[in-house]
Amino acid sequence: MRETRLWSLHILVIPIIAVLLGMHFALMHYAPVFYDVSVDEAREFSTMIERGKSMTQFVVYTLLLIAGLYHGLYGLRGILRELPLTPTLVKVVDIGILIFGLMIFALGMYVTWWTFNAPLGG
Amino acid sequence: MSTNKSSSYNNRLGLKGWMYAGRYSFERYLYLGHRLSGLGLIAYMVLHIVETANRIRGEEAWAGLMALFASPPFRVIEYLLFVMAIFHALNGVRLILVELGFFLGKPQEPVYPYKSSIMKHRPLTYIIMLLAFVVMVLGSSSLFFE
Repeated sequence: MRETRLWSLHILVIPIIAVLLGMHFALMHYAPVFYDVSVDEAREFSTMIERGKSMTQFVVYTLLLIAGLYHGLYGLRGILRELPLTPTLVKVVDIGILIFGLMIFALGMYVTWWTFNAPLGG
Repeated sequence: MSTNKSSSYNNRLGLKGWMYAGRYSFERYLYLGHRLSGLGLIAYMVLHIVETANRIRGEEAWAGLMALFASPPFRVIEYLLFVMAIFHALNGVRLILVELGFFLGKPQEPVYPYKSSIMKHRPLTYIIMLLAFVVMVLGSSSLFFE
């Protein structure tokens, strides 16, 4: 049952990733098409800090971070668990991926929070 | 006795089995592509989070990193990531549809000559892969954005 729930969550986060990653692509990689701004301008430090102060941006990136990391690391866990591992190694994989995911999530959240609170002008 | 025999028989192909184990179908190679693109994307996501943390070091450090990413080799890498993301996403849509039982036809008696459900959803597979190809080609214009 636990595995079913984890798998279902893996599938349920897909629409969130699709929408939010689409927004991220539009904003950062296809800025000339959607915002009439060059890619270089969209990636400028001041533009990025200004953008990062928006609550919408903060929420979008927090959700994308959670959904993306969960989907990706759950997939990685599935691939690793297919290998001929001993029960102990399966536990190592599970706990290792959980700790790694939490560390990367903490770093991503710290950067998002730092941008949200950074003074304008750098 | 027979249990012991079957458990001692090593039929694991390991990673080689991902690539080839005889007569793999088109969908099997899509499965391989889905795995490889998934691994590439999660590796990139982690690197992307670490790399964007560079902003904390200030404007100069950020500008240096962006200048590096604007160079032609990184533009090509960025495009390859885009290709992986599009393939993974659209093939994922196909997998969800199949998982939910769409485009597989109704269950039938297994009477020879057998009809494969794979063949029933093959047109969907081709349509989705064609769509992925079109999006990849359209997305390649980002290489020329200034």
